[in-house]
Amino acid sequence: MTAAGIQTYTFHVNGMHCKACVLLIERELTEHPKVISAKASLPTRSVDIRGRFGAKLPEEIAEKLSAFLSEHSLSTTAQERQVHWDELGVAVPIAISCAALFVLLQELGIGDLVSGNTTTYGTAFVVGVVASLSTCAAVVGGLVLSISATFARSGNRTKPQALFHIGRVASFFILGGAIGLLGSAFRLQSMATFILSFTVALLMLAIGINLLDVFPWARRLQPSMPRFVSKKALGTVGLSSTVAPALVGGATFFLPCGFTQAMQFYAVSTGSAVTGALTMLFFALGTLPVLALLSFTSLAVNTKENQGVFFKSVGMLVILFAVFNAINSLAALGVIDPVFNL
Amino acid sequence: MTKNNKKSMTPTILAWLVAVAVVLVVATIVLVRHDENAGGTGQTNASIVGGNQTIEITAKNGYSPRDTMAKANLPMTLKIETSGNYDCSSSLSIPKLGYRANLPPSGETVVDVPPQKAGSTLTGLCSMGMYSFTIQFQ
Repeated sequence: MTAAGIQTYTFHVNGMHCKACVLLIERELTEHPKVISAKASLPTRSVDIRGRFGAKLPEEIAEKLSAFLSEHSLSTTAQERQVHWDELGVAVPIAISCAALFVLLQELGIGDLVSGNTTTYGTAFVVGVVASLSTCAAVVGGLVLSISATFARSGNRTKPQALFHIGRVASFFILGGAIGLLGSAFRLQSMATFILSFTVALLMLAIGINLLDVFPWARRLQPSMPRFVSKKALGTVGLSSTVAPALVGGATFFLPCGFTQAMQFYAVSTGSAVTGALTMLFFALGTLPVLALLSFTSLAVNTKENQGVFFKSVGMLVILFAVFNAINSLAALGVIDPVFNL
Repeated sequence: MTKNNKKSMTPTILAWLVAVAVVLVVATIVLVRHDENAGGTGQTNASIVGGNQTIEITAKNGYSPRDTMAKANLPMTLKIETSGNYDCSSSLSIPKLGYRANLPPSGETVVDVPPQKAGSTLTGLCSMGMYSFTIQFQ
Protein backbone atom coordinates (compact mmCIF):
# COMPACT_ATOMS: atom_id res chain seq x y z
CA MET A 1 0.00 0.00 0.00
CA THR A 2 2.98 2.22 0.17
CA ALA A 3 5.28 3.27 -2.59
CA ALA A 4 7.93 0.78 -1.61
CA GLY A 5 5.46 -2.05 -2.01
CA ILE A 6 5.43 -2.82 1.68
CA GLN A 7 1.99 -3.66 2.93
CA THR A 8 0.67 -4.00 6.43
CA TYR A 9 -2.06 -6.43 7.34
CA THR A 10 -3.67 -7.34 10.59
CA PHE A 11 -4.80 -10.93 10.90
CA HIS A 12 -6.59 -12.75 13.61
CA VAL A 13 -4.70 -15.64 15.12
CA ASN A 14 -6.67 -18.72 15.98
CA GLY A 15 -5.44 -20.86 18.82
CA MET A 16 -3.11 -18.33 20.45
CA HIS A 17 -3.27 -19.00 24.16
CA CYS A 18 -0.05 -17.96 25.79
CA LYS A 19 2.92 -15.68 25.57
CA ALA A 20 4.99 -18.53 24.21
CA CYS A 21 2.58 -18.67 21.27
CA VAL A 22 3.21 -14.97 20.62
CA LEU A 23 6.93 -15.58 20.34
CA LEU A 24 6.45 -18.66 18.21
CA ILE A 25 4.16 -16.89 15.76
CA GLU A 26 6.45 -13.89 15.41
CA ARG A 27 9.48 -16.07 14.93
CA GLU A 28 7.82 -18.33 12.38
CA LEU A 29 6.29 -15.48 10.41
CA THR A 30 9.51 -13.53 10.12
CA GLU A 31 11.12 -16.62 8.61
CA HIS A 32 8.73 -16.36 5.69
CA PRO A 33 10.56 -14.78 2.74
CA LYS A 34 7.83 -12.23 2.03
CA VAL A 35 7.38 -11.07 5.60
CA ILE A 36 9.47 -8.17 6.84
CA SER A 37 8.20 -7.99 10.37
CA ALA A 38 5.47 -9.45 12.53
CA LYS A 39 4.07 -8.23 15.80
CA ALA A 40 1.59 -10.43 17.62
CA SER A 41 -0.68 -9.39 20.44
CA LEU A 42 -2.15 -11.80 22.93
CA PRO A 43 -5.04 -9.70 24.33
CA THR A 44 -6.48 -9.07 20.86
CA ARG A 45 -5.33 -12.42 19.44
CA SER A 46 -4.05 -10.71 16.36
CA VAL A 47 -0.84 -10.16 14.49
CA ASP A 48 0.34 -7.15 12.50
CA ILE A 49 2.37 -8.22 9.51
CA ARG A 50 4.49 -6.01 7.28
CA GLY A 51 5.70 -7.50 4.03
CA ARG A 52 5.78 -7.50 0.26
CA PHE A 53 2.86 -9.61 -0.80
CA GLY A 54 2.20 -8.09 -4.24
CA ALA A 55 -1.37 -7.95 -5.46
CA LYS A 56 -2.78 -10.77 -3.37
CA LEU A 57 -6.05 -10.61 -1.48
CA PRO A 58 -5.80 -10.57 2.31
CA GLU A 59 -7.64 -13.89 2.43
CA GLU A 60 -5.06 -15.47 0.16
CA ILE A 61 -2.21 -14.11 2.25
CA ALA A 62 -3.78 -15.40 5.43
CA GLU A 63 -4.17 -18.81 3.87
CA LYS A 64 -0.57 -18.88 2.60
CA LEU A 65 0.84 -17.80 5.93
CA SER A 66 -1.37 -20.22 7.86
CA ALA A 67 0.13 -23.10 5.93
CA PHE A 68 3.53 -21.81 6.95
CA LEU A 69 2.73 -21.80 10.69
CA SER A 70 3.15 -24.96 12.70
CA GLU A 71 0.47 -24.62 15.34
CA HIS A 72 -1.76 -21.69 14.52
CA SER A 73 -3.83 -20.36 11.71
CA LEU A 74 -4.58 -16.86 10.53
CA SER A 75 -7.84 -15.46 9.29
CA THR A 76 -9.11 -12.10 8.12
CA THR A 77 -12.07 -12.12 10.45
CA ALA A 78 -12.12 -12.89 14.12
CA GLN A 79 -13.11 -16.45 14.77
CA GLU A 80 -16.25 -16.42 16.77
CA ARG A 81 -15.23 -16.94 20.32
CA GLN A 82 -17.20 -19.75 21.75
CA VAL A 83 -17.79 -19.97 25.43
CA HIS A 84 -18.82 -23.47 26.27
CA TRP A 85 -21.05 -22.78 29.23
CA ASP A 86 -22.55 -26.23 28.85
CA GLU A 87 -19.17 -27.72 29.77
CA LEU A 88 -19.28 -25.79 33.03
CA GLY A 89 -22.50 -27.62 33.85
CA VAL A 90 -20.51 -30.83 34.06
CA ALA A 91 -17.24 -29.35 35.27
CA VAL A 92 -18.66 -27.59 38.35
CA PRO A 93 -20.16 -30.73 39.92
CA ILE A 94 -17.00 -32.69 39.11
CA ALA A 95 -14.90 -30.07 40.90
CA ILE A 96 -17.30 -30.02 43.86
CA SER A 97 -17.11 -33.83 44.12
CA CYS A 98 -13.32 -33.77 44.04
CA ALA A 99 -13.21 -31.08 46.73
CA ALA A 100 -15.64 -33.05 48.91
CA LEU A 101 -13.56 -36.23 48.53
CA PHE A 102 -10.49 -34.21 49.49
CA VAL A 103 -12.24 -33.07 52.69
CA LEU A 104 -13.27 -36.67 53.39
CA LEU A 105 -9.69 -37.86 52.98
CA GLN A 106 -8.55 -35.36 55.61
CA GLU A 107 -11.46 -36.15 57.88
CA LEU A 108 -10.75 -39.88 57.86
CA GLY A 109 -7.30 -39.05 59.12
CA ILE A 110 -4.94 -39.91 56.33
CA GLY A 111 -2.22 -38.52 58.59
CA ASP A 112 -2.82 -41.30 61.10
CA LEU A 113 -1.28 -43.72 58.63
CA VAL A 114 2.11 -42.48 59.67
CA SER A 115 3.28 -43.90 62.94
CA GLY A 116 6.45 -44.81 64.66
CA ASN A 117 8.75 -42.65 66.67
CA THR A 118 11.88 -43.09 64.64
CA THR A 119 12.33 -41.53 61.25
CA THR A 120 13.67 -43.90 58.65
CA TYR A 121 13.88 -43.53 54.88
CA GLY A 122 10.83 -45.76 54.79
CA THR A 123 8.99 -43.31 57.05
CA ALA A 124 10.05 -40.44 54.82
CA PHE A 125 8.64 -42.28 51.80
CA VAL A 126 5.32 -43.02 53.53
CA VAL A 127 5.09 -39.43 54.78
CA GLY A 128 5.61 -38.39 51.17
CA VAL A 129 2.74 -40.57 49.99
CA VAL A 130 0.48 -39.27 52.77
CA ALA A 131 1.54 -35.68 52.08
CA SER A 132 0.58 -35.96 48.44
CA LEU A 133 -2.90 -37.09 49.45
CA SER A 134 -3.40 -34.58 52.19
CA THR A 135 -3.52 -30.85 52.77
CA CYS A 136 -0.28 -30.48 50.84
CA ALA A 137 -2.19 -31.60 47.81
CA ALA A 138 -4.03 -28.30 48.02
CA VAL A 139 -0.76 -26.46 47.51
CA VAL A 140 1.69 -28.61 45.59
CA GLY A 141 -0.91 -30.81 43.91
CA GLY A 142 -2.94 -27.77 42.92
CA LEU A 143 0.14 -26.21 41.42
CA VAL A 144 1.04 -29.41 39.57
CA LEU A 145 -2.46 -29.67 38.23
CA SER A 146 -2.55 -26.08 37.03
CA ILE A 147 0.88 -26.22 35.43
CA SER A 148 0.32 -29.51 33.68
CA ALA A 149 -3.10 -28.49 32.42
CA THR A 150 -1.64 -25.23 31.12
CA PHE A 151 1.08 -27.06 29.24
CA ALA A 152 -1.31 -29.68 27.96
CA ARG A 153 -3.60 -26.98 26.62
CA SER A 154 -0.84 -25.20 24.80
CA GLY A 155 -0.11 -28.47 23.05
CA ASN A 156 3.01 -29.15 25.04
CA ARG A 157 2.77 -32.65 26.34
CA THR A 158 5.00 -35.10 28.11
CA LYS A 159 8.31 -33.26 28.30
CA PRO A 160 7.47 -30.29 30.54
CA GLN A 161 5.64 -32.55 32.98
CA ALA A 162 8.52 -34.98 33.23
CA LEU A 163 10.98 -32.12 33.68
CA PHE A 164 8.86 -30.65 36.45
CA HIS A 165 9.03 -33.90 38.41
CA ILE A 166 12.71 -34.46 37.69
CA GLY A 167 13.47 -30.92 38.84
CA ARG A 168 11.41 -31.49 41.97
CA VAL A 169 13.06 -34.76 42.98
CA ALA A 170 16.54 -33.47 42.18
CA SER A 171 16.10 -30.28 44.19
CA PHE A 172 14.78 -32.21 47.21
CA PHE A 173 17.89 -34.39 47.08
CA ILE A 174 20.34 -31.51 46.65
CA LEU A 175 18.68 -29.02 48.98
CA GLY A 176 17.99 -31.77 51.53
CA GLY A 177 21.71 -32.43 51.60
CA ALA A 178 22.43 -28.73 51.88
CA ILE A 179 20.19 -28.15 54.89
CA GLY A 180 21.43 -31.37 56.50
CA LEU A 181 24.98 -30.12 56.10
CA LEU A 182 24.29 -26.60 57.27
CA GLY A 183 22.25 -27.97 60.13
CA SER A 184 21.27 -24.42 60.85
CA ALA A 185 17.80 -23.31 61.67
CA PHE A 186 16.69 -23.22 58.10
CA ARG A 187 13.21 -21.88 58.34
CA LEU A 188 11.22 -19.26 56.57
CA GLN A 189 9.87 -16.55 58.82
CA SER A 190 6.12 -16.25 59.07
CA MET A 191 6.04 -13.18 56.83
CA ALA A 192 8.10 -14.93 54.15
CA THR A 193 5.88 -18.00 54.41
CA PHE A 194 2.84 -15.82 54.04
CA ILE A 195 4.15 -13.93 51.01
CA LEU A 196 5.17 -17.20 49.38
CA SER A 197 1.91 -19.03 49.96
CA PHE A 198 -0.24 -16.02 49.15
CA THR A 199 1.63 -15.44 45.88
CA VAL A 200 1.23 -19.08 44.95
CA ALA A 201 -2.48 -18.83 45.77
CA LEU A 202 -2.85 -15.80 43.50
CA LEU A 203 -0.94 -17.53 40.70
CA MET A 204 -3.17 -20.56 41.04
CA LEU A 205 -6.24 -18.34 40.98
CA ALA A 206 -5.07 -16.74 37.73
CA ILE A 207 -4.26 -20.10 36.16
CA GLY A 208 -7.56 -21.54 37.34
CA ILE A 209 -9.63 -18.73 35.87
CA ASN A 210 -7.71 -19.15 32.63
CA LEU A 211 -8.36 -22.86 32.51
CA LEU A 212 -12.08 -22.19 32.76
CA ASP A 213 -11.70 -20.47 29.40
CA VAL A 214 -14.88 -18.44 29.77
CA PHE A 215 -13.45 -15.00 30.54
CA PRO A 216 -11.47 -13.45 27.69
CA TRP A 217 -9.89 -10.85 30.03
CA ALA A 218 -8.27 -13.62 32.05
CA ARG A 219 -5.70 -14.23 29.34
CA ARG A 220 -3.81 -11.18 30.50
CA LEU A 221 -3.43 -12.79 33.93
CA GLN A 222 -1.81 -15.95 32.63
CA PRO A 223 1.50 -16.22 34.45
CA SER A 224 4.44 -17.00 32.26
CA MET A 225 8.11 -16.35 31.94
CA PRO A 226 8.71 -12.67 31.35
CA ARG A 227 8.90 -12.15 27.61
CA PHE A 228 12.33 -10.59 27.59
CA VAL A 229 13.77 -13.48 29.56
CA SER A 230 12.50 -16.15 27.24
CA LYS A 231 13.41 -14.15 24.17
CA LYS A 232 16.89 -13.26 25.31
CA ALA A 233 17.96 -16.56 26.76
CA LEU A 234 17.22 -18.77 23.82
CA GLY A 235 15.54 -16.67 21.23
CA THR A 236 13.00 -19.43 20.98
CA VAL A 237 10.11 -20.75 22.97
CA GLY A 238 12.20 -23.72 24.00
CA LEU A 239 13.08 -22.21 27.33
CA SER A 240 9.57 -21.90 28.60
CA SER A 241 8.99 -25.59 28.05
CA THR A 242 12.27 -26.97 29.35
CA VAL A 243 14.04 -24.85 31.95
CA ALA A 244 10.93 -23.29 33.44
CA PRO A 245 9.13 -26.51 34.44
CA ALA A 246 12.31 -27.91 35.97
CA LEU A 247 12.87 -24.68 37.91
CA VAL A 248 9.28 -24.58 39.14
CA GLY A 249 9.56 -28.22 40.15
CA GLY A 250 12.74 -27.46 42.05
CA ALA A 251 11.19 -24.44 43.74
CA THR A 252 8.45 -26.58 45.26
CA PHE A 253 11.03 -27.38 47.94
CA PHE A 254 10.18 -23.99 49.41
CA LEU A 255 6.44 -24.26 49.09
CA PRO A 256 4.78 -24.04 52.46
CA CYS A 257 3.54 -27.56 52.97
CA GLY A 258 3.43 -28.85 56.51
CA PHE A 259 4.76 -32.29 55.68
CA THR A 260 7.65 -30.88 53.70
CA GLN A 261 8.50 -28.56 56.58
CA ALA A 262 8.41 -31.43 59.07
CA MET A 263 10.76 -33.44 56.86
CA GLN A 264 13.06 -30.47 56.34
CA PHE A 265 13.14 -29.91 60.07
CA TYR A 266 14.16 -33.53 60.52
CA ALA A 267 16.80 -33.21 57.78
CA VAL A 268 18.24 -30.18 59.54
CA SER A 269 18.29 -32.01 62.85
CA THR A 270 20.31 -34.89 61.41
CA GLY A 271 23.23 -32.55 60.78
CA SER A 272 24.37 -34.83 57.97
CA ALA A 273 24.41 -34.03 54.27
CA VAL A 274 23.91 -37.67 53.24
CA THR A 275 21.04 -38.39 55.64
CA GLY A 276 19.40 -35.05 54.86
CA ALA A 277 19.66 -35.59 51.12
CA LEU A 278 18.37 -39.16 51.26
CA THR A 279 15.51 -38.30 53.64
CA MET A 280 14.29 -35.52 51.38
CA LEU A 281 14.84 -37.72 48.31
CA PHE A 282 12.67 -40.51 49.71
CA PHE A 283 10.05 -37.98 50.77
CA ALA A 284 9.97 -36.55 47.25
CA LEU A 285 9.80 -40.04 45.75
CA GLY A 286 6.87 -40.78 48.04
CA THR A 287 4.99 -37.76 46.70
CA LEU A 288 5.80 -38.70 43.12
CA PRO A 289 3.12 -41.34 42.32
CA VAL A 290 0.15 -39.14 43.16
CA LEU A 291 1.65 -35.95 41.73
CA ALA A 292 2.68 -37.75 38.54
CA LEU A 293 -0.80 -39.20 38.27
CA LEU A 294 -2.23 -35.69 38.62
CA SER A 295 -0.01 -34.22 35.95
CA PHE A 296 -0.39 -37.05 33.47
CA THR A 297 -4.15 -37.07 33.75
CA SER A 298 -4.02 -33.92 31.65
CA LEU A 299 -2.29 -35.92 28.94
CA ALA A 300 -4.73 -38.81 29.00
CA VAL A 301 -7.61 -36.57 28.03
CA ASN A 302 -7.43 -36.54 24.27
CA THR A 303 -10.71 -35.72 22.61
CA LYS A 304 -11.60 -32.07 22.17
CA GLU A 305 -14.92 -32.46 23.88
CA ASN A 306 -13.53 -34.15 26.98
CA GLN A 307 -10.72 -31.62 27.13
CA GLY A 308 -13.13 -28.74 27.51
CA VAL A 309 -14.83 -30.39 30.47
CA PHE A 310 -11.53 -31.56 31.91
CA PHE A 311 -9.83 -28.16 31.82
CA LYS A 312 -12.88 -26.48 33.28
CA SER A 313 -13.04 -29.05 36.10
CA VAL A 314 -9.35 -28.59 36.81
CA GLY A 315 -9.79 -24.82 36.63
CA MET A 316 -12.62 -24.91 39.17
CA LEU A 317 -10.64 -27.19 41.46
CA VAL A 318 -7.52 -25.03 41.21
CA ILE A 319 -9.62 -21.95 42.02
CA LEU A 320 -11.11 -23.69 45.06
CA PHE A 321 -7.65 -24.73 46.24
CA ALA A 322 -6.34 -21.21 45.62
CA VAL A 323 -9.08 -19.66 47.76
CA PHE A 324 -8.53 -22.32 50.42
CA ASN A 325 -4.79 -21.60 50.47
CA ALA A 326 -5.22 -17.82 50.45
CA ILE A 327 -7.62 -17.91 53.42
CA ASN A 328 -5.37 -20.34 55.29
CA SER A 329 -2.28 -18.22 54.75
CA LEU A 330 -4.10 -15.15 56.06
CA ALA A 331 -5.20 -17.15 59.10
CA ALA A 332 -1.67 -18.43 59.67
CA LEU A 333 -0.43 -14.86 59.72
CA GLY A 334 -3.03 -14.04 62.37
CA VAL A 335 -4.83 -11.49 60.20
CA ILE A 336 -8.13 -13.35 60.22
CA ASP A 337 -9.58 -16.08 62.40
CA PRO A 338 -9.11 -19.59 61.08
CA VAL A 339 -11.92 -20.45 58.70
CA PHE A 340 -11.12 -24.08 58.03
CA ASN A 341 -10.15 -26.59 60.63
CA LEU A 342 -9.77 -29.93 58.97
CA MET B 1 -17.52 -24.59 14.30
CA THR B 2 -20.95 -24.27 15.80
CA LYS B 3 -21.75 -26.89 18.32
CA ASN B 4 -25.01 -28.69 18.23
CA ASN B 5 -27.24 -27.34 20.93
CA LYS B 6 -29.41 -30.39 20.95
CA LYS B 7 -26.73 -32.23 22.87
CA SER B 8 -28.34 -34.20 25.63
CA MET B 9 -28.36 -32.86 29.16
CA THR B 10 -27.68 -36.31 30.62
CA PRO B 11 -24.00 -35.79 31.57
CA THR B 12 -24.81 -32.54 33.36
CA ILE B 13 -27.65 -34.04 35.35
CA LEU B 14 -25.62 -37.14 36.13
CA ALA B 15 -22.62 -35.10 37.27
CA TRP B 16 -24.78 -32.94 39.55
CA LEU B 17 -26.47 -36.00 41.04
CA VAL B 18 -23.08 -37.54 41.82
CA ALA B 19 -21.82 -34.24 43.27
CA VAL B 20 -24.86 -33.83 45.52
CA ALA B 21 -24.56 -37.43 46.70
CA VAL B 22 -20.84 -37.11 47.44
CA VAL B 23 -21.30 -33.82 49.30
CA LEU B 24 -24.16 -35.25 51.37
CA VAL B 25 -22.16 -38.35 52.33
CA VAL B 26 -19.06 -36.32 53.21
CA ALA B 27 -21.07 -33.76 55.19
CA THR B 28 -22.77 -36.54 57.15
CA ILE B 29 -19.48 -38.22 57.99
CA VAL B 30 -17.87 -34.92 59.02
CA LEU B 31 -20.82 -33.87 61.19
CA VAL B 32 -21.11 -37.26 62.89
CA ARG B 33 -17.42 -37.32 63.68
CA HIS B 34 -17.43 -33.76 65.02
CA ASP B 35 -20.38 -34.62 67.22
CA GLU B 36 -18.42 -37.50 68.69
CA ASN B 37 -15.46 -35.26 69.32
CA ALA B 38 -17.58 -32.63 71.01
CA GLY B 39 -19.20 -35.18 73.28
CA GLY B 40 -18.39 -34.86 76.97
CA THR B 41 -18.36 -31.40 78.46
CA GLY B 42 -15.94 -32.35 81.22
CA GLN B 43 -12.67 -30.74 80.27
CA THR B 44 -9.77 -32.99 81.07
CA ASN B 45 -6.86 -31.25 79.45
CA ALA B 46 -6.62 -28.37 81.93
CA SER B 47 -5.27 -28.46 85.46
CA ILE B 48 -4.35 -25.81 88.00
CA VAL B 49 -1.50 -26.35 90.43
CA GLY B 50 -0.62 -23.46 92.72
CA GLY B 51 -0.81 -20.21 90.80
CA ASN B 52 -0.17 -21.85 87.47
CA GLN B 53 -2.46 -23.62 85.04
CA THR B 54 -1.45 -26.27 82.60
CA ILE B 55 -3.19 -26.96 79.32
CA GLU B 56 -2.37 -30.03 77.30
CA ILE B 57 -2.92 -30.24 73.60
CA THR B 58 -2.10 -33.12 71.30
CA ALA B 59 -0.78 -32.33 67.85
CA LYS B 60 -1.30 -35.05 65.31
CA ASN B 61 -3.17 -34.62 62.08
CA GLY B 62 -4.61 -31.46 63.60
CA TYR B 63 -4.90 -30.31 67.20
CA SER B 64 -6.95 -31.91 69.91
CA PRO B 65 -8.95 -30.66 71.70
CA ARG B 66 -9.81 -27.91 69.31
CA ASP B 67 -11.36 -25.61 71.89
CA THR B 68 -10.23 -25.26 75.47
CA MET B 69 -11.42 -23.02 78.32
CA ALA B 70 -8.79 -21.51 80.59
CA LYS B 71 -8.70 -19.15 83.54
CA ALA B 72 -7.93 -15.53 82.82
CA ASN B 73 -5.19 -13.58 84.60
CA LEU B 74 -3.26 -16.72 85.45
CA PRO B 75 0.09 -17.73 83.98
CA MET B 76 -0.26 -20.76 81.81
CA THR B 77 1.93 -23.61 80.71
CA LEU B 78 0.90 -24.93 77.33
CA LYS B 79 2.09 -28.47 76.77
CA ILE B 80 1.94 -29.74 73.23
CA GLU B 81 2.42 -33.43 72.79
CA THR B 82 3.51 -35.07 69.59
CA SER B 83 3.87 -38.70 68.70
CA GLY B 84 4.95 -39.66 65.21
CA ASN B 85 3.81 -36.33 63.86
CA TYR B 86 5.03 -35.39 60.40
CA ASP B 87 2.09 -33.31 59.27
CA CYS B 88 1.50 -29.60 59.28
CA SER B 89 0.41 -29.49 62.90
CA SER B 90 4.05 -30.10 63.83
CA SER B 91 4.83 -26.67 62.45
CA LEU B 92 3.09 -24.58 65.08
CA SER B 93 2.60 -20.86 65.26
CA ILE B 94 0.71 -18.79 67.81
CA PRO B 95 0.53 -15.39 66.14
CA LYS B 96 -0.61 -13.50 69.25
CA LEU B 97 2.48 -14.61 71.17
CA GLY B 98 4.78 -14.32 68.17
CA TYR B 99 5.51 -17.98 68.78
CA ARG B 100 6.69 -20.21 65.99
CA ALA B 101 8.30 -23.60 66.32
CA ASN B 102 8.83 -26.92 64.67
CA LEU B 103 7.66 -29.50 67.14
CA PRO B 104 9.77 -32.66 67.33
CA PRO B 105 8.14 -35.69 65.63
CA SER B 106 7.68 -37.22 69.06
CA GLY B 107 7.92 -35.50 72.42
CA GLU B 108 6.55 -32.67 74.47
CA THR B 109 6.96 -28.98 73.79
CA VAL B 110 6.29 -26.44 76.51
CA VAL B 111 5.14 -22.91 75.78
CA ASP B 112 4.91 -20.40 78.62
CA VAL B 113 1.93 -18.14 78.16
CA PRO B 114 1.69 -14.94 80.22
CA PRO B 115 -1.63 -14.18 81.98
CA GLN B 116 -4.37 -13.28 79.51
CA LYS B 117 -7.36 -10.98 79.94
CA ALA B 118 -10.80 -12.44 80.47
CA GLY B 119 -12.70 -12.78 77.22
CA SER B 120 -9.61 -13.03 75.11
CA THR B 121 -8.80 -15.95 72.85
CA LEU B 122 -5.49 -17.49 71.95
CA THR B 123 -5.31 -19.21 68.59
CA GLY B 124 -2.64 -21.67 67.54
CA LEU B 125 -2.29 -22.74 63.94
CA CYS B 126 -0.10 -24.85 61.78
CA SER B 127 2.09 -22.84 59.45
CA MET B 128 -0.24 -23.38 56.51
CA GLY B 129 -3.27 -22.42 58.53
CA MET B 130 -5.61 -25.33 57.94
CA TYR B 131 -5.30 -26.79 61.44
CA SER B 132 -6.00 -24.68 64.48
CA PHE B 133 -6.92 -24.73 68.14
CA THR B 134 -8.29 -22.02 70.42
CA ILE B 135 -7.96 -21.36 74.12
CA GLN B 136 -10.58 -19.06 75.57
CA PHE B 137 -9.90 -17.19 78.78
CA GLN B 138 -12.65 -16.59 81.31
